[in-house]
Amino acid sequence: MVATADPRARASMDEAPIRNRSSRAELLRGGACAAGLALAGVTAVGLPGVVGAAPSPAQDERVLNLLLMVEYAEVGFYEAALRGGTLSGELESFAEIVAEHERAHLAVVREALGSAAEPEPRHDFAAATGDPDAFADAAGRLEDLAVAAYNGQAANVTPKAFAAAARIVSVEARHAAWIRSIGDRPPAPDATDQPKSAAEVREGLRKLGLQL
Amino acid sequence: MSELDLAALDRDGALEEARDGLSRAGFLGTLAATGTGALLALADDAGAAPLRRSDVEVLNYALSLEYLQAAFYTEAERSKALSKRAAEAARVVGAVERAHVKAFSSLLGRKAIARPRFDFQGVTEDSGDFIKTAVAFEDLAVAAYKGQAAKLKSGAVLASAIGIHTVEARHAAWMRYLTGVQPAASAFDEPQTRAEINQVVKATGFVSSAPRTSARRSPRYTG
Amino acid sequence: MNRWRAIGAGVLAGAVIGVAAVALAGYGDPATPPPKRPELPPAPRPALVIPPPEGLGRETGLTRWAPLRRPTPARAAPSSAARVLARLSTRTPERTAHPLPVVGRRADGSGRLWLRVRLPILPNGTLGWVPRRAVGGYELVRHRLVVDLGEYEATLLLGDREVFSAPVGIGQARWPTPRGEFIVRNRLERYQSPQYGPVAFGTSARSATLTDWPAGGFVGIHGTDRPDILPGEVSHGCIRLRNADILRLAELMPVGTPVVIR
Repeated sequence: MVATADPRARASMDEAPIRNRSSRAELLRGGACAAGLALAGVTAVGLPGVVGAAPSPAQDERVLNLLLMVEYAEVGFYEAALRGGTLSGELESFAEIVAEHERAHLAVVREALGSAAEPEPRHDFAAATGDPDAFADAAGRLEDLAVAAYNGQAANVTPKAFAAAARIVSVEARHAAWIRSIGDRPPAPDATDQPKSAAEVREGLRKLGLQL
Repeated sequence: MSELDLAALDRDGALEEARDGLSRAGFLGTLAATGTGALLALADDAGAAPLRRSDVEVLNYALSLEYLQAAFYTEAERSKALSKRAAEAARVVGAVERAHVKAFSSLLGRKAIARPRFDFQGVTEDSGDFIKTAVAFEDLAVAAYKGQAAKLKSGAVLASAIGIHTVEARHAAWMRYLTGVQPAASAFDEPQTRAEINQVVKATGFVSSAPRTSARRSPRYTG
Repeated sequence: MNRWRAIGAGVLAGAVIGVAAVALAGYGDPATPPPKRPELPPAPRPALVIPPPEGLGRETGLTRWAPLRRPTPARAAPSSAARVLARLSTRTPERTAHPLPVVGRRADGSGRLWLRVRLPILPNGTLGWVPRRAVGGYELVRHRLVVDLGEYEATLLLGDREVFSAPVGIGQARWPTPRGEFIVRNRLERYQSPQYGPVAFGTSARSATLTDWPAGGFVGIHGTDRPDILPGEVSHGCIRLRNADILRLAELMPVGTPVVIR
């Protein structure tokens, strides 16, 4: 009896090289459990090359304060835009609805931080009150920045903070695609959203007008 | 049509797919079974950390949904029955979902589930039906990734999942915009469990099985 | 996992020592600035490598088929009032699924989709219409088998590329192999009929002369126990290959492949 293979028409799969190394954060996480040490808030000083720090309540606080800045910026931006009075029609509806969402996000992040919430910085969102195209462009960048900020911190937080952030980040992504759709720009050109580091996020917020 | 029952195993389907060399398990149906079997051969390249079994399971679940989406958009694009903007969405999003399928399949290697069979029952061939279903699929993908990401143990895998999760949310907003529905319905998106996701997918009736086209019997062709 | 835990513990032990050293230095020296707030760790490198999204490309030479899901009348026009050309069943005579080549689509007045399909009936080449709901999911095929009766040759193409060719035996003059466009409907193996060789494919082509043949008189593509008479007009209509050739073909050609006989 001859067994023959029955081929099917199938798409070829590119054999891309696979990089599948666990992060150093995992390494430390395992070590912390074994050693039973609570070194919250302290990275591994004096150990070159180690990049990760295990999630902890103290680290959650720092992450949430970063995300708090993002939400302050978004609320400030949209409220400035609505006060500015240069928006109308679809852009105005967009700003109204999104401002409401961002206020809800801000409330959740602030509540999670409690008394540890840092105060709102000063801001000057020039693009928000400029012409509608400038607004749309800046809004897109701000929402993209929010997505990158949240994604950048996802591995740094405890499950509780992760769950709260997860409910928010996809809505930021929706906002980003929405404003691009309004402006007839490609709403989702990439296959994945790249994360940004905390420093990059702060820099991005400053560029948009938050005085950090 | 096969059910989306986690306990079921399409043995014949698995065997036929095995001959393709694509995979060893059926769509969603064997995720329970992978837990009982021995862990298959480990990492694809020397020095890379092996995937944890629970992460493999989550990745295969994500792959199953990516297969569904990729097949849906690809068939819609090929149908040439869509309006201009729907066709553009099918083209762009389809390319991304196909890239996702390649990425997951590559990472999972021999542990990847088989390519499932789908019957979209004409939904990909009607512009209105297509776009409404696209909205549902993308919203579903967002909820699924959100529900599953929290289970991941590897930081590297988590980083991958969340990058895709937000892209699916962009897709969802885009499709909603095309239907004239608010792209972000509320301030918060909720996760959904596998049971909830499976129920929705099952209800579509889109999951099919490979038709049996071979047999062991004596031919009675004319000769 | 234990090995990683041990290493992790060692790393953290080192961290404790490092921090203690800094703290001690701080106590002794008021000019030393307090430790800066640590920066948040960067995101881990992702495990997934996502290739650049690619379009479908030109896709020439792609055909599609769908399995019949329920017994259905095939009609002369895309309307439930149109004349019935054939009553299709969900199984071939070999009891396998029934693949129908799909060559067109139309929505009727009430928006219902109909598909135009090649019918496995005489006269060969008859097309008919079935409701979309009557068939299952589409299968796409990139291969095509061309049988040249004048040259006694079968060639398998993948897109534009020839991937297989072999000499064939075809029907004798009184039982000619029909010309036209057909589909490979099924594949049989592990049987005990050496006159069909090790593997046999059924097609949707019907013999126009052997109309009383059991199981419908469908033309097959199969091996043979008489390779010595190939190539030539030797059969009752079937396309015969030498066994080594049919085995090679069977590695390449999926069920559902269109067959063009000219």
